[in-house]
Amino acid sequence: MESDKIMIKYEHRQAGHCESGATSNLFNFKGIALSEPMAFGIGNGLYFSYLPFLKLQFAPMISFRNLPNTVFRRSMKYLKVDATVIRKFKDPKEAMQQLDRNLQKGIPTGMQVGVFNLTFFPPEYRMHYNMHNIVCFGKEDGIYHISDTVMEYPQILTYDDLLRVRYAKGHFAPKGKMYWINNIDKELDIRSAVVAGIRKTVYEMIKVPFPLIGVKGLRWMAKDLKKWPKKLGNEKASFYLGQILRMSEDFGTGGAGFRYIYGAFLKESGEKFNHLELLEASDMMGKAANRWREFAYIGARNCKNRSQPQEDYGMLANMLVEIAGMEEKVYKKLDKIKL
Amino acid sequence: METNSDPVYTDKRHGQYRELFYNYDKTGQFEKSVGFHGETDRVTLQQAWDLFHERIEEARGKVHAGKVSPIVYYMEKNLVDPLNLSMLAGISLWKVKRHFKPRVFKRLSEKTLKKYAEAFNISIEELKNVE
Repeated sequence: MESDKIMIKYEHRQAGHCESGATSNLFNFKGIALSEPMAFGIGNGLYFSYLPFLKLQFAPMISFRNLPNTVFRRSMKYLKVDATVIRKFKDPKEAMQQLDRNLQKGIPTGMQVGVFNLTFFPPEYRMHYNMHNIVCFGKEDGIYHISDTVMEYPQILTYDDLLRVRYAKGHFAPKGKMYWINNIDKELDIRSAVVAGIRKTVYEMIKVPFPLIGVKGLRWMAKDLKKWPKKLGNEKASFYLGQILRMSEDFGTGGAGFRYIYGAFLKESGEKFNHLELLEASDMMGKAANRWREFAYIGARNCKNRSQPQEDYGMLANMLVEIAGMEEKVYKKLDKIKL
Repeated sequence: METNSDPVYTDKRHGQYRELFYNYDKTGQFEKSVGFHGETDRVTLQQAWDLFHERIEEARGKVHAGKVSPIVYYMEKNLVDPLNLSMLAGISLWKVKRHFKPRVFKRLSEKTLKKYAEAFNISIEELKNVE
């Protein structure tokens, strides 16, 4: 292994969501200021799906984020930026060589990794979760310098550790996926990108003809939540409820299942284009997000006292239905907006 | 309703790592703040880890009683279910389930044991013995 030292001048900034944070930092590296909420909104980070037939850590799979790499790919597409995404490498060594070549050319490179073997990650978060994103920006004697937007400071990883997390197995396995920006024209058409991003998000949240995705999925989950204590017993019901809260509040969401970040995106674009309706939508989204947080706060009492629920599950389910209604109003409003 | 019901914790007791949180306050501003994770996060994470530890201890007891093979213990320790284990080790699901029997586990070839050992990131010796 060559002992040369490469350090790309790359600014690490902490973010709420791993992928939009990485995207925003990569833009920043190219000299274009794009805030995290903007990257998140344009790249359709907002999502909801409830998949009870798939199990993640012994509880139904609930996802508040889109499929891995959506945020990067879509924001590149809508902003018309020249970027490269390599979906998978068959040979792990080839994947690492490609990374080395990139570093030599001075390109900071984003990668999808699994969390379980990530050595610098908080131990309490190390579960089998394969949708995390990191950016590598330097190398020194076989040790890689990593910017992980969930962490406060840049971190380091050895060659073997990096190889291991890049080839984590399981659902949504990363398979060595990597991405980077090639070049950017200085003038980006942000307005049309925002329009495209909002349209796609609205489609995904209320128009998908499948009952488990978006607002419909939220209502379906509320219906199931009511049945859990009778069907599964109090212990398991509280564990399942805990899964909803873990997914919405933990794992670097910025709180309330990304609703705050999306609200910030609507506010920022509303201010940029002087659009009153967008600002109203952002206010509604912020209120829905606060309601989400309240739901988490009340629900956590049931998780604390597991065998005897402190709060009624029916009440929690009604709260979820109310949130679904609040969110649906926002999306319907956004659907009619003309920019 | 617009109050911030989950304040950002600045006390280190709540975890060693600081994260970025967004908030929506009364004046209609989305605020960014950096802090340790709050009550809700801690309770739900604790709940998950309690369950995992319970399962690990149960598996350890069963291995020592000779009811199941050590693979079950290491599977629980790595927080996976049989389906994920079969993906991790590259062995088909029905075989993995069969290897849970101590009688079958004793006769496993070095090659298969090595596959499991690599999946769990331990040596073959460790795989055979549960502390």
